[in-house]
Amino acid sequence: MLNTLTQAFALITTWEVIVAMLAASVYGLVIGSLPGLSATMATALLVPVTFYLSPIAAIATIVAASTMAIFAGDIPGALLRIPGTPASAAYADEAYAMTRKGEAELALGAGVWFSAVGGIAGTLSLMILAPPLAEIALSFSTFEYFWLAFLGLMCATLVARSSPVKAIASMFIGLLVACIGIENPGGVPRFTFGMTNLFGGIEPIPALVGVFAVAQVMRAMLTPEPPPIPRRKFGSIMAGQWRLTKKYNWQMTRGNIVGIIIGVLPGAGADMAAWVSYAISKRFSKEPEKFGTGHVEGLVEAGASNNASIASGWVPSLLFGIPGDTIAAIAIGVLYMKGLNPGPTLFTEKASSMYAIYLMFIIANIIMIPLGIIMIRLASYVLRAPRSTVMPVIMLCCAVGSFAIGNNMFGVVTVATFGIIGYVMEENGYPVAAMVLGIVMGTMIEQSFVTSLIKSDGSVFPFFERPIAAILAAMAISALIWPVLVWVWRKLKRAPVPATSAR
Amino acid sequence: MRLPDRVTGLFLVGLGAAAAYGGWQLPPVPGQPVGPNVFPLVIGSGLALCGLAIAFGIGHNFEEKEELIPVEGGQPPPPTGKLYGLRALLPPALLLFYVAIADRLGFILTATLIVYVTATALGARWKVALPLAVLAPIGIHLIFSKLLRVPLPPGVLPMPW
Repeated sequence: MLNTLTQAFALITTWEVIVAMLAASVYGLVIGSLPGLSATMATALLVPVTFYLSPIAAIATIVAASTMAIFAGDIPGALLRIPGTPASAAYADEAYAMTRKGEAELALGAGVWFSAVGGIAGTLSLMILAPPLAEIALSFSTFEYFWLAFLGLMCATLVARSSPVKAIASMFIGLLVACIGIENPGGVPRFTFGMTNLFGGIEPIPALVGVFAVAQVMRAMLTPEPPPIPRRKFGSIMAGQWRLTKKYNWQMTRGNIVGIIIGVLPGAGADMAAWVSYAISKRFSKEPEKFGTGHVEGLVEAGASNNASIASGWVPSLLFGIPGDTIAAIAIGVLYMKGLNPGPTLFTEKASSMYAIYLMFIIANIIMIPLGIIMIRLASYVLRAPRSTVMPVIMLCCAVGSFAIGNNMFGVVTVATFGIIGYVMEENGYPVAAMVLGIVMGTMIEQSFVTSLIKSDGSVFPFFERPIAAILAAMAISALIWPVLVWVWRKLKRAPVPATSAR
Repeated sequence: MRLPDRVTGLFLVGLGAAAAYGGWQLPPVPGQPVGPNVFPLVIGSGLALCGLAIAFGIGHNFEEKEELIPVEGGQPPPPTGKLYGLRALLPPALLLFYVAIADRLGFILTATLIVYVTATALGARWKVALPLAVLAPIGIHLIFSKLLRVPLPPGVLPMPW
């Protein structure tokens, strides 16, 4: 173990990794703090750059940029009431109310401090949970993998903040996209319409860039520009944070735990963690009446929660190749590209790389404190950058980045197409994250499904015969029929209301 | 581009049916119970079922109302004419323009046009849009072509590096 840790240290203390990590941190802070540019978009735009880095440096940029971007979303939330990333939306109102009360420093300081604590807690969960789970996973056959992937997809649809039927439809669209190409059980061209470019299938990364970056530029075309931030000088950012840590110790711990659990669930990311934790904080608070008036308690819990979910989201990604959230979906792509194929054997065969990932998470969360403070102080300058100068550069990065993925113009066509698909879906209440997970997991789920069916000679009974497979199947099927049950229950509850009670 | 649920639902029914039909047409693998046709059949049927449910409004009451945060001191809301929504199609159209023209015109000139048009569409004045359109492509070219060795088309205006 000590030997592995030393090797991991050696892996991350090269100039390339240090410079990559610092540059990605600054990039993550800037993109995360600009309203409308999410942490997922920041990470997706970074992928073409990771092609040219060593495996560890590539992962380091993803870790650093995503960690920083999730925190940085708090900055415009607190100063402008416009969350930088969806993960900060849950408490943007509260943080802004604090700013109006003259407590901007306390709100932003709580953002950076509790995000760092949450991030480290999430990393610890990754370190503690992943190795024993990997041992269990080694005994998994294709039947378990199929149900696990299925459960992951169902979780993604359950936690979506829209109609579950629409979320399931989004997931099916993603799976359908994954069907394209010749990588299928028969090796025949499927849904390629004779186009050679489609033979290789749709790459997940250009699809992600389209859905998250181009669709955002499209939305910007129709929405008014946010107001410029007033110039101001900040006092001490970290003053009072230790007092808050002692006072809201339990809230912080609860936020960390909820964030870790939500992060581990496939499909539920940092934004879900923040919403749930903020709601829990309000529900169990001793002074719930203060929520919404500029009260720091919810900020502590939700801020810790969203960053905790980032690291724990890597648990299912590293173990099974099932992404915990959209950022982890991108990370999986990078892991495959760099020869660090996700799976339980990664923990035995490439243990030093695993430890290097843990260390990078811890370092990213520690350097977030000084870099975050600098970013808060510079926020007045960065946030004044008009959208009309940022968005064109993003567009150019989309074009060049998607071309760089395969040195092929078809990548640019994919980005444009998925921009339109993502925009139309989001406008009509279809969650795009579910589609993205479908695209990323499609090949895996088909392979495990078809291999299992071949093994069982076409029979479905072996899918339920092994104990773990049976448990996973029960969970997945209940997740599938849960929305129907809730719908029936709601109908039944509404039916017997007496006519006199209606106004 | 908000469409009624009935429209999107019926579109999904069509898409699902087409996928299932396309899957059904695929040749099976001899001697194997399942081939490349099974997965599209399952997905297509599922998608069609979801489409039907959406068209009939099942699950609609799960949808949360959109929370609009009123912007304080921002610009007035944009005009909402019939053709205003089409502005959203500008970014993908510009990307396709890049695909069509970049090889002939070269990266720098195509990128300059794209940046200028996007910036002006987002409300930048020419005093801002023009320098941005000149500098941003050179910067991006420097990073991607020089540092990352991405072969960007030189076209009529090759860069000296």
